[in-house]
Amino acid sequence: MDIQYSDRQIVVSEKVLTDLDRFVMDFTRILEKSTPYVIVSGYVAILFGRSRGTEDIDILIPPLEQDTFVHLYRDLIAGGFEFLNAEHDHGLYDMLVRGMGVRIAQHTQFIPNIELKLLKDDLDRHVLENRIAVTIPDASLFISPVDIQIAYKLYLGSDKDIEDAVYLWEIFKDDLDSTRMKKWMKEFDISGDEYGIFM
Amino acid sequence: MSMEFSCDRKTRRMERLAFVRTYAAWVKKTPNAEWSREQAVLINSLMENARNMPLSRQVYLERVAGRRRPRRQRER
Repeated sequence: MDIQYSDRQIVVSEKVLTDLDRFVMDFTRILEKSTPYVIVSGYVAILFGRSRGTEDIDILIPPLEQDTFVHLYRDLIAGGFEFLNAEHDHGLYDMLVRGMGVRIAQHTQFIPNIELKLLKDDLDRHVLENRIAVTIPDASLFISPVDIQIAYKLYLGSDKDIEDAVYLWEIFKDDLDSTRMKKWMKEFDISGDEYGIFM
Repeated sequence: MSMEFSCDRKTRRMERLAFVRTYAAWVKKTPNAEWSREQAVLINSLMENARNMPLSRQVYLERVAGRRRPRRQRER
C-alpha cells in the first residue's frame, strides 16, 4: 500500500474504486454542499482495504437549521437518493434533532445506506473538527482521525469492531502519533495489549 | 455459557485476528492498484448480493432497529 499520511490528509493513489466507494462519493458530493461531515464507521477500515462489506455507513454532521436540511433533502432526492424512513422532510429533521439517525440509500435500494446523525457530544465535535481528508481517485472523503477510530472500535468491543481496530492498527502503526494514541486509549479506558495494539 | 463454548469462541477470535494481520501485511506490501482491484471484486459481489436480497424496506428497517447493541455501548 502506497499512502501519504499526515495529520490532516491521507492520499491513496491508484485505488480501484468499489461500488461502495462510488456510493459514498456520490452521497458526500451532495452532502458537502450543505454541511461539513465526517465518516465514522467500519467504512473507514474498508476504505483502506479491509476485506469485508457493510450495510451502512455512519456519517456525522453538525446541527443544522431546518431550512438547510430541507435544501439537502431536495438535493438528495434530485440526485437519485431516497430516505428509507417513512417520513417527509420535516419529520426526518425532527428525527435528527431528537438524536435519531436517518437512513438514505439509492433510489429503490436499501443496502448500502448512509445512517446520518447529528453530533451529540464533545467527542463527536472533536472528531469533526479534526477530520482527515482521504484523497482517492476522483474524490476526497472526510473520515475520523485514525487513532480515535482504533480506540473507539476497541471500546465498542464486538468481534467485527476489534478486527477493524486491529486492521487499522496494522496499516497505520508506523504513522500514528504514540502520545495521541495513548491519550485516546486512556480516554476510552481500554487497552489494546490483548490484540497486539500497543505503543 | 459453557467453558468449552467460551474457549472455542476465543480460539475463533484469535484465528480471525491472525487472518486480519496476515491480510493487512499483504495489503501493506502490495501496490494500491493490485490490492484494491481484488478488494473491489469482493465488495462489488457482496453489494450485488445485497441488491438481490428478498427483503422489503420495512422489514430491513425493523431488522436494523432490533439489532443488538454493541457490547460496550458508549454512554452519551
